[in-house]
Formats: sequence, structure tokens, C-alpha cells
Amino acid sequence: MPPKNSKKITGNNDSDEEPKLQAIVLTDCFQTKFMPLTSIKPRCLLPLANVPLIEYTLEFLAQSNVSEVYLMCCSHADQIQQYIDESIWNLSSSPFKKIQTIMSLESRSVGDIMRDVDSRGLITGDFIMVSGDVVTNMDLTKAISIHKQRKLADRDYIATMILKEASELHRARSRIEPACFILDKETDKCLYYQDIPSINGSKTSVNIDPEVLEGSMEFIIRNDLIDCHVDICTPQVPSIFQDNFDYQFLRSDFVKGVLSSDLLKKHIYAYITKEDYAARVESWQTYDGISQDVIERWCYPIVPERNMLIDQTYTYESKHIYKENNVRLSQSCKIQSRVVIGSDTIIGDGTNVVASVIGKNCHIGNNVTLENSYIWDGAKIEDGCIVKHSIVAANAIVKKNAMLNSGSVIGFDVVIDENVIIPNDTKIIKDPVKNLSDSTILSFESSDDESNNDDSEDDESDDEFIHNIKKTHDPSIVGENGIGFLYEDEDDDEEQGFGNSTIIYQLASLNVSDVSIASTTIVHQHRHKKRTTSTVSGYLTEDDEEEFSKEAIATVTRALENNHDIDTALLELNTLRMSMNVTYHEVREATCAALLKRVGHFIETQTLGAKDATGKVFKRWCPLFKRQVFDDDDQVDLLMILQTLCSSIDKTYNSLVFLYALVVLYDEEIVEEENIYKWWDSEESLRLVEVRDKAEKWIEWLREAESDEDDEEEEDE
Amino acid sequence: MSASAVAATQKFEILVDSFISKLKRRQITGSFSVATETCHLLMRVISNSRWTNTDEFIQLIRGVGQRLIQAQPREFAAGNIVRRVLAIIRDEVNDSTPSQIALSNNAPLNTSMFQLLSTNTTTKTTSKETTKAQNQDLRSVVIQGIRELIDEIASVHENIELMTVDLIHDNEILLTPTPGSQTVLNFLLKASLKRKFTVLITESYPNDIEECHKFAKTLAEAQIETVIIPDSTVFAVMSRVGKVLIGARSVFANGGCVTAAGVATVCECAKEHRTPVFAVAGLYKFSPTYPFDRDSLIEVGNSGKVLPYEDSDLVGKCEVTNPLFDYVLPEMIDIYITNIGGFSPNFIYRIVLDNYKNEDVHLD
Repeated sequence: MPPKNSKKITGNNDSDEEPKLQAIVLTDCFQTKFMPLTSIKPRCLLPLANVPLIEYTLEFLAQSNVSEVYLMCCSHADQIQQYIDESIWNLSSSPFKKIQTIMSLESRSVGDIMRDVDSRGLITGDFIMVSGDVVTNMDLTKAISIHKQRKLADRDYIATMILKEASELHRARSRIEPACFILDKETDKCLYYQDIPSINGSKTSVNIDPEVLEGSMEFIIRNDLIDCHVDICTPQVPSIFQDNFDYQFLRSDFVKGVLSSDLLKKHIYAYITKEDYAARVESWQTYDGISQDVIERWCYPIVPERNMLIDQTYTYESKHIYKENNVRLSQSCKIQSRVVIGSDTIIGDGTNVVASVIGKNCHIGNNVTLENSYIWDGAKIEDGCIVKHSIVAANAIVKKNAMLNSGSVIGFDVVIDENVIIPNDTKIIKDPVKNLSDSTILSFESSDDESNNDDSEDDESDDEFIHNIKKTHDPSIVGENGIGFLYEDEDDDEEQGFGNSTIIYQLASLNVSDVSIASTTIVHQHRHKKRTTSTVSGYLTEDDEEEFSKEAIATVTRALENNHDIDTALLELNTLRMSMNVTYHEVREATCAALLKRVGHFIETQTLGAKDATGKVFKRWCPLFKRQVFDDDDQVDLLMILQTLCSSIDKTYNSLVFLYALVVLYDEEIVEEENIYKWWDSEESLRLVEVRDKAEKWIEWLREAESDEDDEEEEDE
Repeated sequence: MSASAVAATQKFEILVDSFISKLKRRQITGSFSVATETCHLLMRVISNSRWTNTDEFIQLIRGVGQRLIQAQPREFAAGNIVRRVLAIIRDEVNDSTPSQIALSNNAPLNTSMFQLLSTNTTTKTTSKETTKAQNQDLRSVVIQGIRELIDEIASVHENIELMTVDLIHDNEILLTPTPGSQTVLNFLLKASLKRKFTVLITESYPNDIEECHKFAKTLAEAQIETVIIPDSTVFAVMSRVGKVLIGARSVFANGGCVTAAGVATVCECAKEHRTPVFAVAGLYKFSPTYPFDRDSLIEVGNSGKVLPYEDSDLVGKCEVTNPLFDYVLPEMIDIYITNIGGFSPNFIYRIVLDNYKNEDVHLD
């Protein structure tokens, strides 16, 4: 009616002249919150209100006039690629000029993905980084214009995080990664980011370094924001990830690291939206919350009758009921409110449905009770079943008079026998749990070999497994004629007690504070990482060593970058050493490796020459060795380590670096002359000739100087 | 030849698909811009389309119309424009056959009545015999027709404004419950040049409150005495109101219309007080369909406008519905003011018949 919108349309056309906007979609989140279903389908293809999650994200990007989209795929990459290839986004009428799935199969964390993005050189300008499970109706244009202003105003600006104002215990707010943001009141500059510590952990408070608050007149601490992981970034962001190879997570590593780093001196801002809707589906609890939000039209115009998939035909009826064409409802069934029903679904007599989503081709029998449940395409619920707060995945069958209690997740193709009662928070999958979790971790973790076809791999191994055990179900769980096994949560511990992974979350009755529901991500991730590596490559002490060196290198690098004091770094290293039960040899090795890496970084980025870089790094940090090197043998060992490591770095400067490192160690009295000679003349050292040439002269000089000294001494005498 | 044909159909698909996704994404909203954009789309579609006879041509445009309506069933303007274009095509096809020319020349007043009663078999038999040259002519004539349609849409406001002086008297109090309507705004602004009057505007919380404030500001800047009143006081002030002025989103063949939520209540109040209700609407908002299923006409909007989403104590625990539109019955409206004159709601069916062909009322 009002032609004011014509302005908007011309605005859209103008965008062609502006530099194109790119988007990186992280389709994998490297978490196992949706296990066991994610073992078969990637998270971003799970349906929310009968639309795959990725559609919501792509729709948002289309709305924001993004022209190039890169989907970074890791687990189930083939499925995602196939989906995108067949979707409307790949047609020539697609709003994106380019949409590309990028296989980043080796990546194990968001950090790896970003490093991959950087090394592939995909980013040419400012870009939007978004995870593949965002549901939002946000108009990004305002945020982008603010981003541009900030970019002009602040030279150290690198990113804007988009946050949605909500409240602490909101149903769409994550309870897995709750975090508080400290923002400058005037500019919305993010000063500090802190995950809310777990109640189980020793920490129950947030420590704020007073330094971070310097320079801002007023600041606010907010714990009421939904962090939907939509960031507008400058091209510097991927390279920061590249430089800091230990960054794994977008928030707890990257944001926190950048904000607390003295070296980087970069600024991250926040953009807080109040009117728009934005949330991320990252757990069963948010899945439920966001589904209900979409049905109740909080995310308007992203509602089911928007018919995002071309073959959908939803129409709206009062009380938030959405039906597709060709739905058969019996006369006596009761569809109460907040219900979505897909096409060709049949609902029987006397059935009562409330606050639920039912997919396509579902068959719901007579006298069934469905309450706040999610029935995916093709599932069958027979007569007399009671399903509450549960998820029944595609093509599963729940036979007569079975009962699913709160929080049950029935996996793909599972069959639940008659009269079976599934207890609270039970997850059931078709194929045995052990086997499946292994294979998913394999595919999830890395795919050195032929993991391009995970599925076939899975199938084979499953077949084997079934063949070996000759049983297809666990009668105690699914009943005599059922199909399926109990899935046990990987991280099934006391943290789960608060209902993180389940869809039941009757918070009012639980009456817990935010802090108590929170679980620290860090704890999770470390455990997870350990687990995955061990599953991949066996479980011997070698792995512990490897694990240690990785961790230790990361620790030292962090110390180097953030300029920690030496005592802290030492303490961390020592703790690590004790916990992993390794010798000082490994500690020295790790320290050397980290220092050399730092030197290498300086040289490669051409900030410093070989001499200055080595001098700077080793002078500042060689006191570390004072507490790692105790006797003569240790000194020889240290030198040997240094030589070995140096011989393996870049040939163009390795001998120089080695020489200067040696000089510094000598000057700082970490190693004594005798031990230098001992090492120099040892067989092992002679074998690594490449780095010896430059050092040789110095050794000669040292020997001469010593003999001179000796002479002088003799003369003096 | 075949390669270029494929390329043409491809281009055609791209045009339609991207328009549909824009409609769905609401990058094009509001009757005015939807109408204009649909015209432009059809122009491009027609110049890119390939067909051998007029039947095929008509089917093609009908297909496009069907898809547009499916994409956004409540943007009635898109469907209306497609039907208008279809009418242009059918007129042209009929005119090009001599018998039809004779008929229409002899009895121009009878045409619509005649078409009402006659079946469309004649058009079908004649259309098959068209030649390529004729097709080219038809194409250019239709495109010319669409250009005229665009001009018509662009000049809707001016034509409506011509009637202001006759309708508004000095020192009158007007009430408008649709501050989102650009047509009403232009109407009032134009009237203020000749007349001095007061305008009451309903607050229209929550969906149109921002528009309401902008609307009031524009009027106040034009030296019109402007008062914003809460929606709840409409009945109380109605006794002093001289005329109620509403903007319609879409007008149906029975004379009823879809407009902003809250207007139906205002019209009820006006009826109680025997206050005349004027609806303003451009011709492109007139739809030849009948509003059988009234619930399906009403869009339900963002719940967040009614209850702030931040309120986690209430979100999810109470049901919130926020309808954006109202259906207003024909007997509630006294006169429709359009760019082709003022009409009683009873007469709308006739205007619809003049502008649309009967066979195009239902595109599927």
C-alpha cells in the first residue's frame, strides 16, 4: 500500500555497485549435542518445523544481500553437498552469485576451519561468518552500515558480533555456552568475554582484569544476550586464526584471545538487536524453544507458511496451526494449538495433538497423545501411544500403546515394540552405539583416508558388527519385536543432570540459576578432543606424549603471544607435565618447538630478521629452561633437541636461527661450555650436518677464546 | 534455434523464480510496488517468452500468475495485475478477429454483458490461425498495454486527488484508522490546499504505530490540525467525526475490502453513528475474486510486536496472536474513491467486470 518500499528496492539494486559481500557458513559445530541423530544426518540438515536448518541460515543470507556463500563442511560433507546441489540455491535464479560447498574434512574445530579459509584465500573483503544453524529474521543492513562506520572510525577494528537481547533463562538461549559480555556503554566495544563457569567447577566468579576496563568511561556487564554466532568480520580475522594456531573456538578462544592479547591490539564490537529475532539451534533444548518460537510467529516472517522449500504448501489457521495440502484428519481428533502438519499425514480418531510438529507422510493412529513432540517425516505412531516432549526421527515406528517419556529421542528407522515404556531422557538408535559413535567420531574427527563416503564405511562396519553379534536390537529397551539400541551420551556425567541435552527443561520447577545450568565448554571440549584422538590412533602412552607436546606447545605459544609472565607459563607447563606424567625431556622439546615456531613466525612475516627474532624470543623466554634443565646431561639433551628441531624447520634460515639460539643460551648461562663441547662432539650431533656449518665457527671461536683465557690465566699465574 | 529456445526458457524461468523469491522474502511489499514490479516482470517475461499461438501465450501468463499468487497469496496486487494483462491480451486477440471488431463496434455497451453470457469458444477457434507476424504484433501491442498500465498505476494518486474538493468540507473533522496508507496521506495533503479541516488518527498499536507517528508529522508539517487518539477512544469521538477515511489493501468483487487491523471496529462505530465511511483505493487493488474464506485473507504478523520477546516469563506460556489485517464488509463502506471515480460498494462488481475477463478470475 505505501510506496515507501520502492526506496528499499532501489537500495537492493544499488548493492551491485558496492563490494560484494561474502559469507562463510560453518555447517559443523564440532559438538555432539545432537547425537545420536547427527551420526546419520549432519546437524544443519535436521528439520526444524519441517524445514532443514540450513535453509534458515541461507534464507537469512539471501535477505542480507550476500552474493557469495561458502559452506564449510566437515562431517557428512557429502550429504550437505548433495543437498545444496539439488536445492533452489544452486539454480540460476538463486539470489547468490556463487554458492559453494568446501570440503574441509581435516578440520577439527572452528579454528581449523578458519585456517583452512585463510589458506584457500577465499576471503576478498568483509564477510559474514555464520553457523549453519541460525534462525533469524534479522535485517543485517543496519548492522553492516554500523560495521562500516566502525571500520572507518577504528583502525584496529576487526569484527562485530551480533547479539540478541533476551533474558538469562530464555528458552532460545543456550545453556551450553552461556556467556557474559562486558561492553563499553558508549561504543558497544566488547571489552571482555567470559563463559559462565560451571557450578561444578571450582570457579564461581568471573575474574576481570582491571586493565581491560581502562580507557572506557562506563561499561556494562550483560548476561542476557543470545549469542547467535553471526559475526561481520574484516579479512583480518582468518589470518589471526592462522597466526594463532591454538585457537579452536570462536568465542572462548578467538574473542577472548583477541581481547586479552597485548600483541594483537584488535577490537571486537557488539551489535545488540532488540526487535529482531535471532537464535541458534545448538541443543535439544534450543531446538524445542526455537521450534516453538517459529510456530508462535516470533520470528515472523520466517514462519511455516512462508514455504521455504518449493514443494511446501503450508497455510495458517488460527491458534497457530499450520497444515499442508492433503492432510487427513479424522473427525474426532483434536488439534489444539501450535501444531505443524506436513502433507499426506494421517491422524486417527480421538488423537490429541498439542504444541507439536508432524512431518510429511506420517501416520498417527487412534487415541494417541502427542505433546510438545517432534515427529519427523515418515514416522509412524500407532494406536494408543503417549508421546511427550520427545523426538521421533524420520521413518521410526512406535507400536501400539507404547509410551515415550520426556526427553526421549527415537533415532532414524528405530522400531519400538508394543506396550514398551521408554524412560526419561533415553536416546535410541538403530545401529549399535559403540560402533556408531566410533565411526562418527572418525568421520567427524578427520578423514585421512577414504572418508568421502562415510556412509558406505558405516554400513560395512555395521554389517560386520551385526554379523558378529547376530542381534539387531536390545529387547530390554525397545521390546521383543523392536529394532534399536540404547545410545549413551559421550559426555554423560553430572553436567547432564540439568537437562542440557534433553528437550525437557521445566525450568520453573527446577528453579535453578543460570550459573547452575551452565556447563563450561572448555571442560567438554578438552575431554572430547582427548577422546577423539585416542579413538583414532590407539591408546598407548605415545599418544599421551603426543597429546602433551601439542598441549605444551599451545601453552607456551599462548604465553608468548599474550606475554604472560614466566612464572605463570612455568606453572602451567609444570601442571601439564604432572598431569600427563611425562619427563622433562618432553617439556624441553615442547618449549623449544614453541619458541622456534614463534621465531619462524617473525621471520616469515618479515617483522624481524633471523638474528633479531631469535635474540628477542630466546632472551625473553630462556629463563623457562632454567627450571627445565638441571644437570649436565640435561644441558646436552637441550642442545640436541634444539639442533634436531632446527634441522627440521625452514632451510633458508634454520642454521642462522640455530646459531643465535645457541649464543643466547650460552650468554644466559643456560648451558656451560663443557656441555656444549660434549654435545658438539657427540655422534648424534655430527649426524645432523645441515645446521652445523654456521655454528661451527662460533664453536671454534669459543674454543679459542677459552684457550686464550686459559693462556691468560696461566700467564696471570 | 533449439539452443536459443532453451536459453529463452531458461531466462524466463530465472526471471520468474527470482521475482517469486523476492516476493516470498518480502523484498517487494506494499500493493503499489508489487503492482509496478509485476508489470515490469510481465513485460520482460512477454518479451522473452516463446509461443506459437495465442492460447499458448495466455496459458503461459496464467501459469506465471498462478505461481505469483501461490508465492504470496495475500499480496493481491500481483494477481490483479496478471489478470489485467490477461484482459489486455484477450481484448487484443478478440479485436484482431473481424467478427469481434464488428460486434464491439456496433454495441460497445453490450460487450461486457455479452461476454458474461457467451462462452469463450470463439476465441479458441480463431486463435489457432495466427501467423508469426501477427504474434509479433500482439506481443508489441501487449507490451504497449502494460506500459499504459504502469502509467495508470503511477498516476493513481493524482486522479484520486482530483476529487478531494468535492468530498471534504471546510472545518470538518476526519478520522483515519489507516496511517499506513500512502493514498490516504496524499488525499489529505491535496485537500489541505483548498480546505481547512482536522484529522484524527488512530494510534494503531502495535503494527502501525511508527507509520502513525510519521503520518501525523507529515500532516502537521502541512499545517493540518492533527490529533492522534488511542484506538479505544474511536467510539467516544465518533459523534463529532464528519467522515471516516480508510485506505484499502485490496477490494473484492462483492465490495468488501481487506485493510489494516482495527478498521472493522472503526467502521462498526461509524455505522452506529451514521458517519459516512470513504475507502480510497487505486484500480490495481480491485480483485475480481470473492472473499469466501475470510480467515485466509488475514495475515498474522509478528508476535513480538504484542509481547516483547525478552519477557521469558511469558513467552511460551501464553498464546499471542497478532493479526495484521481486517476484512471490512461491503455494507460498512459508503463509497469507494478510486482513480476512475467514486463508486458504491454495490457497483464494484461492474468495475471488476470492465477490467478483468471472467475466465481469468481463477487462474488455476
